[in-house]
Amino acid sequence: MQLDSSQLRVESPRHHDTLPVCLSTLNSQLSTFPVSASKPIPYEATIERIVELAPETRAFYLRLPPATNFTFVPGQFLSCLLPLGGGEVIRPYSLASDPEDPLLEICLNHVAGGPGSHYLFSLGVGASLRFTGPWGTFVLSQPPAAECIFIADGTGIAPIRPMLKRVLATESPHAVRLYYAAISSPHLLYRDELEAIARRHPRFAFTPVLDAPLAAVIEDRYMAADTDRSRHFYICGVGDIVPQLRDALRRAGYERRAVQYEKW
Amino acid sequence: MARLRVLFENGDPERVIEFDPTKAPFQHDGRPGSILDVLLANGIHLEHACGGNCACTTCHVIVKQGFDKLSEAEENELDLLDKAPGLTPTSRLGCQSVVEDDAEITVLIPRFTINLK
Repeated sequence: MQLDSSQLRVESPRHHDTLPVCLSTLNSQLSTFPVSASKPIPYEATIERIVELAPETRAFYLRLPPATNFTFVPGQFLSCLLPLGGGEVIRPYSLASDPEDPLLEICLNHVAGGPGSHYLFSLGVGASLRFTGPWGTFVLSQPPAAECIFIADGTGIAPIRPMLKRVLATESPHAVRLYYAAISSPHLLYRDELEAIARRHPRFAFTPVLDAPLAAVIEDRYMAADTDRSRHFYICGVGDIVPQLRDALRRAGYERRAVQYEKW
Repeated sequence: MARLRVLFENGDPERVIEFDPTKAPFQHDGRPGSILDVLLANGIHLEHACGGNCACTTCHVIVKQGFDKLSEAEENELDLLDKAPGLTPTSRLGCQSVVEDDAEITVLIPRFTINLK
């Protein structure tokens, strides 16, 4: 059975001015679609711009054909279909852009021995990229009702970036914080933007983590320093640091569902 | 050898796959010897938007027989299953559930997956 694209997507407002508007629509955006009958129909975008964000780290800006209906919720990812090894290989990449941006943005490291990133780094402006999506449930399902702590490691900042901006678009008394770890200062992606956001929003604090282990910083501040366990955490990164933080926070007494994460 | 019986909620005819778990992986997505690995290698499409990396719920399956003959679910999988539509006590992610040798497993592939758009 060939699926019609209307079966795969649900119409949703293209522009969200504020988080409450976005979040109020989330339930209606919760859609289901058949999985076992056929594969989702891929989108095909053109790479319009490539930016070297840091050594061996690039942002790819993708333009979809005019009138393409593609919407996403901050935190979601694309499932890129890469022609490798005589077949098609799936590589997921989080969307680093805002839903309102005219181009979709993904960012990734060039991984030694990684065929997916090697292929993408071989592409130039004008090349095509096929993907399905958006996918993923690492999203803000409701406006944060407590202090909101984002924790990003490396390119894990990608989904956090639009999530953070969405949260700050709400009227809320709750503090919002970002702890962002990278292997060196040049690898702190979007640093100028994040610092500018912090200057504009008194309730937002941005803490780069460069010289100390990220787990130790979080433990000192949110486990050892007080007994407040009302905070909500959103963690994204590559590798063991993500489950390490998840387990430590939950062991320290934070509610399981108050610790959301995406591990790549 | 292990035996995997696959039922489809959408009414597609069932399939039975016999395979040697010690020969895994059978292709490149999901854990070697996982339900996803076996299905894809036998031409059965099971969505796996994250590439079989335990980062979404699109490979959700419901285990009808042999639940205890699958590798134990880890916390990441359990957290994701929380968000799967039609969650049951024997739900698993196909990419994470590895089939033991000599196991007889029956899984149902749900009609729907879920997505936030």
